[in-house]
Amino acid sequence: MNTTVTQDMSFLHLITSASLLVQLVMLILVMISLLSWWYIFRKLFVIRYEIKKTDEFEDIFWRGADMNALYQRTINSRYESGSMERIFAAGFSEFNKHPAGSDLEAVMESTRRAMRATYQREMDYLESHLSFLATVGSVSPYIGLLGTVWGIMNSFRSLSSVTQATIAHVAPGIAEALIATAMGLFAAIPAVVAYNRYASRTDQLATRFESFMEELSNVLQRRAAG
Amino acid sequence: MNASIVRNSPHSEPKSVLAGVLAVSVHLFFVALLVFGLNWKDHPPEGMIVDIWTELPKPIQEPVKSQPLPKQSVPIQEPVKPKIEPQPPKPEPPKPVPQKAIVEPPVKKPDIAVKQKPEPVKEPPPDLQEQKKKEQEKVKEQERLKELEKQKELEKKKELEKKQELEKQKELEKQKELEKQKELQKQKEKEQAVQRQREQEAKAQREAEAKRAAQQAAARNQITNEISKYKAMILAKIRSRIVMPPDLPGNPVVEFSVTLLPGGDILDVRLSRSSGHEAFDSAVERAIFLSKPLPLPPDPALFNEFRNLNITVHYRE
Repeated sequence: MNTTVTQDMSFLHLITSASLLVQLVMLILVMISLLSWWYIFRKLFVIRYEIKKTDEFEDIFWRGADMNALYQRTINSRYESGSMERIFAAGFSEFNKHPAGSDLEAVMESTRRAMRATYQREMDYLESHLSFLATVGSVSPYIGLLGTVWGIMNSFRSLSSVTQATIAHVAPGIAEALIATAMGLFAAIPAVVAYNRYASRTDQLATRFESFMEELSNVLQRRAAG
Repeated sequence: MNASIVRNSPHSEPKSVLAGVLAVSVHLFFVALLVFGLNWKDHPPEGMIVDIWTELPKPIQEPVKSQPLPKQSVPIQEPVKPKIEPQPPKPEPPKPVPQKAIVEPPVKKPDIAVKQKPEPVKEPPPDLQEQKKKEQEKVKEQERLKELEKQKELEKKKELEKKQELEKQKELEKQKELEKQKELQKQKEKEQAVQRQREQEAKAQREAEAKRAAQQAAARNQITNEISKYKAMILAKIRSRIVMPPDLPGNPVVEFSVTLLPGGDILDVRLSRSSGHEAFDSAVERAIFLSKPLPLPPDPALFNEFRNLNITVHYRE
């Protein structure tokens, strides 16, 4: 924070001349930002893929495809299967385990439990890392603010040793401190936007899975009765 | 069994590497935007330019002083070399001449000796010997004369050479003097050029100072004009709002000291000298408050002249 008449106010100079804690804060924020953008893109691709798969499966299922063929297909391509296919496979296999003529109520209950367990697991997978995005969105502005407050504190402390206080003594320190806030906001804003968007998308998917589970149990019950 | 395979099989997450690349590229884009998109450079204040101008003439003078010095030293070395070069050839030409002079006589002496040796063999005829002796003497005399002539010629040649050498030396000295004079002239010219430059700079400075002084004076005149104009305007505005009490004797004068705020608002009005007629005093005071806001010059720098105003109002103009 040496104040010559002509300040080198270039972006890199501001960062390199910042105090250690501010630099640390900046480093943390850059890491957080990189990680959160990585998760943003990962979740974007995952949710898109899941929606596509769900659309495909619902299309095939409600067109009246053979359930045994669908089950076999799901087992065979289990690494590319969507969540809804997995839920269907879990329910169908549980339903088929029961021998014919057993209590229909008990069979349907265990089928529903199997589907619900898979549903929980799938939702857990879809919602993974969303909490990280939420944390980044709420915490990184505070981290940036900490760096800014620290930098401004230092720049005002350096002002105390000067008899003639001018804005030129404080300005570079404040500028470099404000970079921390800017970084925090840069990390937080996309994280919050992405979190809200992905949360609503996964909620939509969850609703679809739940209604599918109810419909599938109806179909299976009719099949068992008929 | 089959279901457990499906349940436990991990999800194949699509394009996670692409996501990482995209995340990094987003950051690179943002950094590039910050570094190149924003002009973070701070322009130096204009006052700095004036400081640089006062410092500039010194570095100009220093190189001018230092430049002639190497030139002086270089030409001195150059003429020394030509001195050494012409000198060696001068001693050389005289040397070969004495060598020839030394070599020639011994060559002729053997000739004489050879002639002398056969003579004793022909001694028996005395007349012949006398004749021969006479002839020999004649020959010897002739030879002596020839040698003398040769010596004289050699001496003449030597004298000529010496003269030529002296002339050459004189010419060299003249050349050296000319060179020295040229160098001195060059130095003088350079010094004169430097002096001219300095004079021109001094003139320019003087002219600039004169201009500045003139501008300042003009600005001061303008300011005083502005101030008096606005004071007259204030007084006129106040006068227009006075409801004059009728029939006062004589021409009473009232003085108020008014404190103004920027923008023309009145902070405080104090009666500094009463006219003796309370009606007139209060009429003027009311008029002052009524004429708020007072007209002030648009330049805020001039406000200090109006902060504390003394307003004197005459009953009759």
